[in-house]
Amino acid sequence: MSSIGLIANPVSARDIRRIIANASNLQIADRVNIVLRVLTAAHSLGVEHVLMMPDNGGIRALLQRHLARGHSQHQRWPVVEFLDMAPTSSVEDTLKATRLLRAAGVAAIVVLGGDGTHRAVVRECRDIPIAGISTGTNNAFPEMRESTITGMAVALYATGRLSAAQALSANKLLDISINDGAQRDIALVDAVISSDRYVGARALWKPENLSAVYLTFADPQAIGLSAIGGLLHPVGRRDPGGLAVQLASAEAPATLRLQAPIAPGMVRTLPIAHWQAMPADQPFDIVSDGGVVALDGERELAFDAGDRVQITLRENAFPTVDVARCMQIAASDGLLRLSSTH
Amino acid sequence: MTGNPFPLGKPELLEAYRKMRTIREFEERLHVDFGRGDIPGFVHLYAGEEAAGIGIISHLGDGDRIASTHRGHGHCIAKGVDPVAMMKEIYGKRGGSCEGKGGSMHIADVSKGMMGANGILGAGAPLACGAALAAKYRKKGEVAISFVGDGASNQGTFLESLNLAAVWNLPVIFVVENNGYAESTSRDYGVAVDSYVDRAAGFGLPGVTVDGTDFFAVHEAAGEIIRRARSGGGPALLECKMVRFFGHFEGDAQTYRGSGELDDIRANQDCLRKFAAAVTSAGVITAGELTAIDHQVLGLIEHAVVQAKAAPLPTAADLTTDVYVSY
Amino acid sequence: MARKISMKQAINEALDQEMARDPSVIMMGEDIVGGAGGNGEMDAWGGVLGVTKGLYAKHGDRLLDTPLSESAYIGAAIGAAACGMRPVAELMFIDFMGVCFDQIYNQAAKFRYMFGGKAQTPVVIRTMVGAGFRAAAQHSQMLTPLFTHIPGLKVVCPSTPYDTKGLLIQSIRDNDPVIFCEHKNLYAFEGEVPEGLYTIPFGEANVIREGKSVSIVTYGLMVHRALEAATLLAKEGIEAEVIDLRTLSPLDIATVIESVEHTGHLVCVDEANPRCSIAADVSAQVVQAAFGALRGPIQMVTPPHCPVPFSPALEDLYIPSAAQIVAAVKRSLGGGRH
Repeated sequence: MSSIGLIANPVSARDIRRIIANASNLQIADRVNIVLRVLTAAHSLGVEHVLMMPDNGGIRALLQRHLARGHSQHQRWPVVEFLDMAPTSSVEDTLKATRLLRAAGVAAIVVLGGDGTHRAVVRECRDIPIAGISTGTNNAFPEMRESTITGMAVALYATGRLSAAQALSANKLLDISINDGAQRDIALVDAVISSDRYVGARALWKPENLSAVYLTFADPQAIGLSAIGGLLHPVGRRDPGGLAVQLASAEAPATLRLQAPIAPGMVRTLPIAHWQAMPADQPFDIVSDGGVVALDGERELAFDAGDRVQITLRENAFPTVDVARCMQIAASDGLLRLSSTH
Repeated sequence: MTGNPFPLGKPELLEAYRKMRTIREFEERLHVDFGRGDIPGFVHLYAGEEAAGIGIISHLGDGDRIASTHRGHGHCIAKGVDPVAMMKEIYGKRGGSCEGKGGSMHIADVSKGMMGANGILGAGAPLACGAALAAKYRKKGEVAISFVGDGASNQGTFLESLNLAAVWNLPVIFVVENNGYAESTSRDYGVAVDSYVDRAAGFGLPGVTVDGTDFFAVHEAAGEIIRRARSGGGPALLECKMVRFFGHFEGDAQTYRGSGELDDIRANQDCLRKFAAAVTSAGVITAGELTAIDHQVLGLIEHAVVQAKAAPLPTAADLTTDVYVSY
Repeated sequence: MARKISMKQAINEALDQEMARDPSVIMMGEDIVGGAGGNGEMDAWGGVLGVTKGLYAKHGDRLLDTPLSESAYIGAAIGAAACGMRPVAELMFIDFMGVCFDQIYNQAAKFRYMFGGKAQTPVVIRTMVGAGFRAAAQHSQMLTPLFTHIPGLKVVCPSTPYDTKGLLIQSIRDNDPVIFCEHKNLYAFEGEVPEGLYTIPFGEANVIREGKSVSIVTYGLMVHRALEAATLLAKEGIEAEVIDLRTLSPLDIATVIESVEHTGHLVCVDEANPRCSIAADVSAQVVQAAFGALRGPIQMVTPPHCPVPFSPALEDLYIPSAAQIVAAVKRSLGGGRH
């Protein structure tokens, strides 16, 4: 029986960027609708069992209300089983759920969340393919996509009608190391050096403290700090290498000023010193008087002046379900045609 | 780690700790004394929720108003109401904040902008709108805060107030203290969708959800929201997910809680412990400095209880005074 | 000689002049201006019956139209009063009190007492009362007893334009919450009203007609029915003393007792339903304080114990008439024999 995992984060897109930038708030009711569309679509293509992360943020409670209404002629769902874990309403939930899903051997993990949620999943699991649905603030990593289609693509892969070579794509990530591995972490899109050392409410949105931006890819249509790269020198998700951008400082004066959408609705001007390609497996040393490394937009790792901070880009680091390619092949190979002569 | 990584200076951090510790010890002492039968009526304790109250109210001055809930001791202490007068009030004595005529559920100090704890859930929301309206006419950038719980967020007055605040662009902030229970009823039953920012969104108001046991998360979010309201940016909602250590009221056996739930809360979700760990591990404050505050606070609470027990009861002559200003 | 204006104009004038005098007075209510947010004109209504028309042009943003949410805006008026303003909020029909009563009777009424005398709530809630408009059960009640019952509230119900202006100005200046009742059927009633600002104290009944045979005590529209009854009774040599209570809380029971002490007979007329009415309240107080002065049974003249009917034929039977008051006087004088 093919099982898929599902992690839906209730607290993505809930932080102060709703106040200081007009960031959207995707309601719990809408997140549950997204989940239901994934469930019904996956079920219609043969997925019988879904293992889901429980939460105390309202998604589980409302989903259970829907599921309890029973099947109707229009809606049939797989068996939805919640993982045996007690939610703590923190990123620990995502990390633990990912470990449990990996241990359960699910074929793929559908993730509803922003960049931070996806990062947490990949931190715990680099081998099970993830299919991301953007419900976060910047959504640089997960693609904007109708969740019905994501459900279908994942089901085609999970039930074996598409092979790994057909269904999956390789993704880059950044390895961050402090003091030769004393502290380690990853980023899926951007690692940003900021002198703002306060690790409180996690979102980073004050550009005056930024000194450097390291990117796995840089999409000119993205918002968030990766836009700094995307509007200087775009790099695709499947292109080799990434981009390292140095912002101006006393030691490195500005060569130009760039306008970039660093948060929803927020276009700011940043002083750029220089930028260069970031080849795979080549460590970049950070020179700084101390601060934090923000990973995919969230202040995560604090460091002092004497600490050795290195950032290295890795290619082929983890797989994602390539929904566009899956559906293209499904069409060209006739996978969804049902006829007696098939 | 060198230096202070927090957005508050050391004196402010110590003050925040002192205030949170004052609430905690005030409530813990009431729990004990109520259990002994010393205290009349109903009390509803705020222990466990301190980071939210202090994280928000530390941004306010006397000209800013708050409208509280039945669980109002924490809001009172945060707003600067004298704990000795509060203890006298809870004991029903003359010289209490309300001369013994309000009790735990109605402690108020309008001179400090504390418009009262309220025995009617949700009733504070329209009152806070009124305070915000008055602030708008005064034009001094003052704000009002309405505290409600996850249960009271279902009350019509709360929903009407969201609409009114949006329509009139009032400098009012709605804070939902989501501790998961409306008396004995879990929010998973009583609240159709457990998200209060989503309710605010329905009225076009932005909202933020924070971990209410993390003082710094609350402080930062509240700061942005209050700053926005002061400069005419209008109302917003702040949801603080939190836990209460005690029952709905004192005497509540709490059989509606899961097994081990209370122990887990005390062990893992104590906002004071989290604050202490954050400031000591950052090297900004020492454990000794915090312990010194703990001792001072315990002394203050003991003093408050002694004063309350010694204070005189109101008499028959006080029964019918202050019904009106004049009659 | 003062000019004659209607009760409606007297209300408008009181609000206008007091707002001009005191910048802390603001007004709020549904359609008190009218036209907000639309493509037509502002001040389209000036109140559903035009009572507040013209005030917007003079006082602008001190008049706030409200969304349809009494709990919120009546509560906001109360909160603003507790913070030092003097709001005059309109509860369009007293029948709507059900949707906002908590803010009035549990909050405004009790702040001063619960907070040990350290708060004051100088809010005025203007509201329409009374039947006769064919407005049916949910728009015609006389709910004065429900508010009079609550310690901490003051209740005012004038019967003449002169009393209306003076009492409304007094209400605005008063530091306690006041429910100011305006009888919708008296809005057009005209009387002499001074042009300047003046006040009438609370707790002072008005002996509107002197007489030695019977004391008829009432308020609001019923004052006029009582005066009609007195005219009819005079033809039979019965001289009725008609007392207009004007304020129900505080109540000037002393004037009533003094009157009963020289007439010996009391008829209480009340447009409220009979159970727990003002009539019942006054009657019981008089019995307790002046039993010995009574020479006949007290009579209460009220509508029956039923909602206000719609059909004009029925509504006209519902509202106490002058004939019913005359009959009641005769019953009192006749020692209770029908």
